[in-house]
Amino acid sequence: MRVIVIFMMALVLMYGDFLFAEFSPFNLGQLTVYTVPKLLLMFILLMSVYINPSISSFFAIVFGVLIDIYSGLVYGVHTFGMVAFVFFMHTAFRVFYKDFVAMGFVVLVLTFLYDAYVYMIYRILGLVTLPVFDYIALRGLPSLILNALLFIIVFIITLKTSKVRKNLLPKH
Amino acid sequence: MNKLLNRNKMLIILFGIIILIVFIGFSMTDRSSTTKAEQFTGDTVAASQSIIGAPVQFVSNIFSNVTGMFGAATENEALRAQLEMMPQMYADIERLEAENEKLRDALDVSAKRKYNTVNSRVISRSQDQWLNNFTIDKGENDGIEEGMAVMTPEGLIGTVKRVNGNSSFVEMITTSVSQNNLSVEIHNGDDTIYGAIDRYDSEKGLLVIDNIQNTATVEAGDPVFTSGLTGDFPEGLNVGEVVQVENDEYGLSQNAFIQLFSDPSEVDVVFVLERDPDSQVD
Repeated sequence: MRVIVIFMMALVLMYGDFLFAEFSPFNLGQLTVYTVPKLLLMFILLMSVYINPSISSFFAIVFGVLIDIYSGLVYGVHTFGMVAFVFFMHTAFRVFYKDFVAMGFVVLVLTFLYDAYVYMIYRILGLVTLPVFDYIALRGLPSLILNALLFIIVFIITLKTSKVRKNLLPKH
Repeated sequence: MNKLLNRNKMLIILFGIIILIVFIGFSMTDRSSTTKAEQFTGDTVAASQSIIGAPVQFVSNIFSNVTGMFGAATENEALRAQLEMMPQMYADIERLEAENEKLRDALDVSAKRKYNTVNSRVISRSQDQWLNNFTIDKGENDGIEEGMAVMTPEGLIGTVKRVNGNSSFVEMITTSVSQNNLSVEIHNGDDTIYGAIDRYDSEKGLLVIDNIQNTATVEAGDPVFTSGLTGDFPEGLNVGEVVQVENDEYGLSQNAFIQLFSDPSEVDVVFVLERDPDSQVD
């Protein structure tokens, strides 16, 4: 039961990410500002803490493949990235003191680094030529602020999802 | 034990990186077909997205209808004025087409401009917002194939990269030109200058045609069309207009900077162009 609920929530959050692409980027004077939400990634990272790192890795592979095949130009970037970042989250969370602020900080830093990782791959392949400073100022930081706001919603969703029973019928 | 664990982790990471490189290599190759597994995955996600996205689309339509009402009267007047000219324009087009056909028959020249269109709607944009690629709601079942040109009402916007059963993934022209030079022609008065788009300058937001001879005259404002000489693109599709011309770094040739007519960030309805097989250049 819980796996189904997690799958459905992850699916909705993935489409939430797609939906944001309809409104972003926006122009601020002569500048084009990108706000890239990472609802699905934050959910998968939080799952590794509140539910199970193995389940989190499994969903990272499933949704990484879906995103790569459906909307990716370069296969493997999201699949590999999501699994690697679940691993980083698991490692980082063992080092940091386990409280809400530390966890929020780690998740937000990882969302920022995830986008930077995709940027780095595309830059190596010559698909994007955006300078590093422009990337940080016009994409990295605005996205970080947006994700900080969205983190609360994803955190609540993860908490609710983690409380769903594994089985429909209670064990006797 | 700890060392062994670390070694195992290292092996997994190395294996993952190798797989990533293999996948990147696979997706960057110039493939002419989409595998069944890709088609199935793409169609499943597209179908479920249409279901989940329907309520959002409904609300969005209500808002756009309400905001559209404000300028409706002025827009209506402008459209009415344009509409009055339509019968004359249609008559002119029919006359010119008939004349064109007769002249082609006389010269025994095939029409590189012939194509059929498939109307389509954009169902999703790339969620990582890097390359502005998008997915449309028409696929193999509607006659769409890889490599077909995709246009907005304003001009050329991209190429069909992958085709699923009922959806297709479109790569923006701003991304694809870096891999396969698009053959174009610049019209300067009565002169036609042929060239190939070399790259997309993301800082300026312009396409670049390089290696134009110094003797050729290219000026800002000159329109740019596809030439139909290579690939599946028909001849005469609107691409954009020249906004800047400058000499290359050695002064041996000119570079022309092209502003696309279509706006990559505002794509909603597109037309996929199926080129007439008789007109294709081998």
